[in-house]
Amino acid sequence: MSHGQQAGTVKERSHIALNNEFLRKAVKFTTERLRNGKKKATDEHGNWEEWRERGRQIRLHTIAHLDYYLNQFVENARANGVHVHFAADGKEAVELSMKIAASKQARSVVKSKSMVSEELHINAALEKMGIEAVETDLGEYIIQLAGETPSHIIIPAIHKNRYQIAELLSKEAGETLPADTSILAGFVRRKLREKFLDAEIGMTGCNFAIAETGSMVLFENEGNARMVSTVPKTQITLMGMERIIPTFADLEVMATLLPRSATGQKLTVYMSAISGPKRDADADGPEEMHIIIVDNGRSLQLGDPEFQELLNCIRCGACLNACPVYRHIGGHAYGGTYSGPIGAVLTPALQSNVAEWDDIANASSLCGACYEACPVKIPLHDMLVYLRNRKVEKGYGQTAEKIGMKGFAAIMSNSKRMRSVIKMGQIGQKLVARQGMIKTKIGPLKGWNSVRHLPSLPNQSFRERWGTLEQEVQASNPKMSDEVRQRMEQALEQRKNGGRHHG
Amino acid sequence: MADQEMTLLEQLEKESRAKQAKFIGGIAEKLGRKDIAQKPQHPFRGAPDFWTQLNWTQEEKIERFMDNWQSVGGHAARFQTMEEAKQFIVDRANELGAQNLIRQNQPELNELGLEEALPATDIRVWNSDPEEYWKAQAAGADIGVAVVDHAIAYTGTITVWSSPDKGRSVTLLPTVMMAIIPVERLKTRMGEVMEKIDGMRRDDLPAGIHFITGPSRSSDIENDLTIGVHGPGIVYALIVG
Repeated sequence: MSHGQQAGTVKERSHIALNNEFLRKAVKFTTERLRNGKKKATDEHGNWEEWRERGRQIRLHTIAHLDYYLNQFVENARANGVHVHFAADGKEAVELSMKIAASKQARSVVKSKSMVSEELHINAALEKMGIEAVETDLGEYIIQLAGETPSHIIIPAIHKNRYQIAELLSKEAGETLPADTSILAGFVRRKLREKFLDAEIGMTGCNFAIAETGSMVLFENEGNARMVSTVPKTQITLMGMERIIPTFADLEVMATLLPRSATGQKLTVYMSAISGPKRDADADGPEEMHIIIVDNGRSLQLGDPEFQELLNCIRCGACLNACPVYRHIGGHAYGGTYSGPIGAVLTPALQSNVAEWDDIANASSLCGACYEACPVKIPLHDMLVYLRNRKVEKGYGQTAEKIGMKGFAAIMSNSKRMRSVIKMGQIGQKLVARQGMIKTKIGPLKGWNSVRHLPSLPNQSFRERWGTLEQEVQASNPKMSDEVRQRMEQALEQRKNGGRHHG
Repeated sequence: MADQEMTLLEQLEKESRAKQAKFIGGIAEKLGRKDIAQKPQHPFRGAPDFWTQLNWTQEEKIERFMDNWQSVGGHAARFQTMEEAKQFIVDRANELGAQNLIRQNQPELNELGLEEALPATDIRVWNSDPEEYWKAQAAGADIGVAVVDHAIAYTGTITVWSSPDKGRSVTLLPTVMMAIIPVERLKTRMGEVMEKIDGMRRDDLPAGIHFITGPSRSSDIENDLTIGVHGPGIVYALIVG
């Protein structure tokens, strides 16, 4: 199953981003706003480390007993009247959705934001069947009109400015709309109201699923997820199989961590817990409700000590906002459904074929800012190292690098060889070194020298200078006072006798 | 429901049951177990202990709730009696020139007498006539009025639970939402509400439990805050008592 991989390397894709001045500024501004919001919210809340730790414990516990809790969720959701389905991969999930849509003779599906549905490319499948699929989150609606994919997990249209948005919406409106945020949003509100009332099916994702009650929980700010789960007659929820938490009490912890980490809010405007279709006497809510539980590569991480904690992720996007690489290259450069540090690990981890592992794991400075930001303490920076490890172990490293490392080992392990290689270098560089710098881009120097210059080898290497250096050091050292010398000698004596020493 | 549809649902149900053992068994196997785990010990349930001890006084709760609600762009007011709250709603409705109002079918609202006080406004009572298409009624309303089930001071949140008499649409589709909070329903922490939900019998569990924290909002266009994207853009929290 493809995860929305785009063509080219990370480097090529990031070049597109780096060339787009607006995108870079927008990403920087947005991530900083969200990051500062998070900092303010967590400081104000206090005891953040204790909350993180509790969040981690709850997620670890649930995943360690996922078989029990998932089973419990399924039984309880069924008891609430939900039709539960299982999909081993994206294809099965799409087929199930299509069967349900066909049986309802649906012409239109309204959707609220769901990363799983992005994973599955469900819109394309619906459209193939002649069913209109409408994204109803404002940002998602905009990028759907543009025919693009989300570039940020929380703010999907981060890369578009209001003029581009006004142009897109004007086409939809059939009249020219001014580039004014409230007018544009007002148009979308009216337009989508019609869509909500027309659609036969509402499709949602799922932030959390509660095992003890069989409820699914949605976090959002606009109200579109509430619309999708209130107005259409049939609701289909796509749920990653790891979204489970045991109880509503545990939801308090997640509700404390998720909004503060994502946007710095104390709580999103809406948090909705849906426990089955409408009750018989209710006058709104879906008459029929389906939950499709999706694996699609998730179980590959179960039982894998290095990657199992990936399943703890609550999809807040805090690691994106904290990441210096993401801030520079933006979401599209990652090439998968999920971007930023979590995407760099999750995208390859969701795929079983090592050969398809993207080179994105190398686009990281391993600074650990993602781990610091993560509300459930997933060690993403360690995982990036494991990922690089596995790639090399499975033989997907670069041949040149391998040969280089072998050669390096051969030279470094023998002092004579080392000396002669340095000598050769000192003579050879006379052709290319100017004023202490090598600027040529021939051969292996191309990658390095296209963004910076290589300093030339000094005329005399450190090893060659060592003889004179030692003498100089000896001579320049001030003479030790007798008292100090005595104390040092005593200490040395004690150590010989097996006395305590530091370290 | 058409026959064909019924068979599809039955068929999917059969497939689901057959697949469940394999799907969840596969998870158990990956976790190193032969059979699905028995009910595990659950040592870290809910919020940390220090948190569950937090309980504010009533005055503190009211003050913090109002601060939080206003800080996200909502309007808040406090009244001693329902009569005062009613007058506030009537004044606002007149001021906004509301033509259509929809309210939940709750005893507190039935006693309020909004109908007599607003003779020029078309006031509808949720689900009071089985023939009516109530979602459209709510979509056409200028104001939706509801009494909340609970409120949470720490986050400035109200919760509304669905029932035959309490539509989800009433707090979602109108342009303006007015939520009445009887003061004894105002809690300090979210955990106090969660406890109640965890303790409910299945038959009592509402299909929709909604936590609402201010007006509908979005920052999706150039980070510019927009209010009232899909849900109500103007929200009043009226604390009574």
